[in-house]
Amino acid sequence: MNTMFLSIDKLRKTYGAVVAVDNVSLEVPEGEFLTFLGPSGSGKSTTLYALAGFDEPSAGDIRLRGASILSTPSHKRNIGMVFQRYTLFPHLSVHENIAFPLRVRHQSASDIAARVKAMLTLVRLEGYGARMPAHLSGGQQQRVALARALAYDPPVLLMDEPLSALDKKLREEIQIEIRRIHQETGVTILYVTHDQEEALRLSDRIAVFNHGRIEQVGTGRELYHNPATRFVAGFVGDSNFLEVADAEVRGERARITFPDGTTLANVPVHGGASASGTGELMVRPQSLRLSTDGSGLPVRVRDVTFLGDTSTVLFETAWGQEIWLRAAASQINNATPGANCHLEWNATESHWFA
Amino acid sequence: MLLSYRKLGGLRIALWAITLAVCLFLLVPIIFIAALSFGSSQWLIFPPPSWTTKWYHELFADPRWLQAAMTSAKVGLLSAALSVFLGLLASFALVRGSFPGRGILRALFLTPMVLPVIVFAVAIYALFLRIGLNGTLVGFVIAHTVLGFPFAVIAIVNSLEGFDKSIEDAAVLCGASPLQAKLKVTLPAIKLGLFSAAIFSFLISWDEVVVAIFMASPTLQTLPVRIWGALRQDLSPVIAAASTILVAFTLVVMALAALIRSRMNK
Ligand SMILES: Nc1ncnc2c1ncn2[C@@H]1O[C@H](COP(=O)(O)OP(=O)(O)OP(=O)(O)O)[C@@H](O)[C@H]1O
Ligand SMILES: [Mg+2]
Repeated sequence: MNTMFLSIDKLRKTYGAVVAVDNVSLEVPEGEFLTFLGPSGSGKSTTLYALAGFDEPSAGDIRLRGASILSTPSHKRNIGMVFQRYTLFPHLSVHENIAFPLRVRHQSASDIAARVKAMLTLVRLEGYGARMPAHLSGGQQQRVALARALAYDPPVLLMDEPLSALDKKLREEIQIEIRRIHQETGVTILYVTHDQEEALRLSDRIAVFNHGRIEQVGTGRELYHNPATRFVAGFVGDSNFLEVADAEVRGERARITFPDGTTLANVPVHGGASASGTGELMVRPQSLRLSTDGSGLPVRVRDVTFLGDTSTVLFETAWGQEIWLRAAASQINNATPGANCHLEWNATESHWFA
Repeated sequence: MLLSYRKLGGLRIALWAITLAVCLFLLVPIIFIAALSFGSSQWLIFPPPSWTTKWYHELFADPRWLQAAMTSAKVGLLSAALSVFLGLLASFALVRGSFPGRGILRALFLTPMVLPVIVFAVAIYALFLRIGLNGTLVGFVIAHTVLGFPFAVIAIVNSLEGFDKSIEDAAVLCGASPLQAKLKVTLPAIKLGLFSAAIFSFLISWDEVVVAIFMASPTLQTLPVRIWGALRQDLSPVIAAASTILVAFTLVVMALAALIRSRMNK
């Protein structure tokens, strides 16, 4: 068996009665950009902190190149980390902040000077070496923190919501920087965020966390097009969930019946649900179309919102549930509030969850 | 606002008067003493008939006064150093620790501040009597450390609470041992708090008289004890001179502290 670069094996962490991380297992190949995505309190940080060594796991193991790192204290793990909050050493200049990890490693003055210079170039802050942290913007501080964390060539870089304190525009700017730095250095990155757009933009793969467990690991496309659970379907991308009165499962497909009697065949089934029964159908707002031939799900238009490039239309089903559609404004010209119409979509673009 | 300064009208004058009165009440005795110390009258007549510095000459000629000042400085510096050191350890426990009874411990650390000084003085005198520490420098330093410690704890806890632990964590991940991280990152970051703690506990020791009277021996006296002793013998302008120097030194320390603090803040 070839050993995986980084493996998290049945990791568990409890605080009293609270299970913060519950049986989390992950295999991370070298050089991957893996993001932990999940709502607040889902155990993302706790998993990251176990890697950093701040939190001793209650059970499980973490192996780097096949060897467990759990008995190694934090300062000897040689792991890089960028925190959510600004953590530059306030009494040291930018140069000295980046030099700090090299000084505690007793590197020579000339090596340190060269390395700091290279790092400042990497994060595009040449000429800022003499600045004090208090005189940097939030984005600049996080870039220096990134330079400091990469200065000692860590095998793994941990980032815990490093951009959450920045405004949207700056965040997007630095996301591009982070991607470039990942490509230039080839460092393995474990990144935490609860912003799905950020996760989709940055990651090779995404691990979706919920209640201390990983619901699904995969590329952004996989999560979006083939969500394994109802939670993932609702968390990644926009979604509608429609009540299902009955589903007849045949293999990987189901034939479903809505409460108003409308039926839909060939719906993909997920999460190993094999038994037939009730449940929910997830369909993305952009998969919906207004039908022209009167087939499909009968609905009534409630509201139309013009958003420039696109418009959204809010409908109500016969059994009173809301469902919304997003499309180019030209495609929904005939939708006016109060109008009755029919919605259709490719059955394979919707998903049934028991 | 309910009470707007500008809308107070005539009351404003009253406010000014009260403020002025309070300032005078606080300052006049000090100015009075300083003036008397430069007055020529043996019997502290005010206003002084003429001005002289002879009481200062007399003061500096008497080795007992000098000795007392030296003792005060020694006790002050040592107990300040000890207060800051112990206060630092206690603050880490109070801010970072999560053990049962933390709140009680915090309250306990602050009791010397609220306990009547005379009660503490009698208690520590009785204790030191048993272990033979009365009249020794060590005894003085321990007693004054107890008094300065709560102020050191308050100053250091405040600055440690304002310091983000993640910064220390970052230093540890950078490869610094937990102790190294504290010495190289946390302490420099809270230096203002440490400095305030030192100044506070020094000044508390510097002008403390009640406990010091109990700790003192004829050969080991702090300046306030010497002033108190001299007062009971006779009312000489030399005492006014000594008091003036005591106050002047306190003012110098405070001014220096303010200066250094503003430098550190830059
Ligand atoms: N030191 C602690 N003591 C007790 N409970 C804790 C502690 N740290 C975390 N928890 C709990 O563990 C769970 C997971 O927390 P964690 O910080 O890992 O969540 P997260 O996914 O990082 O959330 P966020 O997006 O808000 O940062 C939460 O329910 C939290 O309340
Ligand atoms: Mg978190």
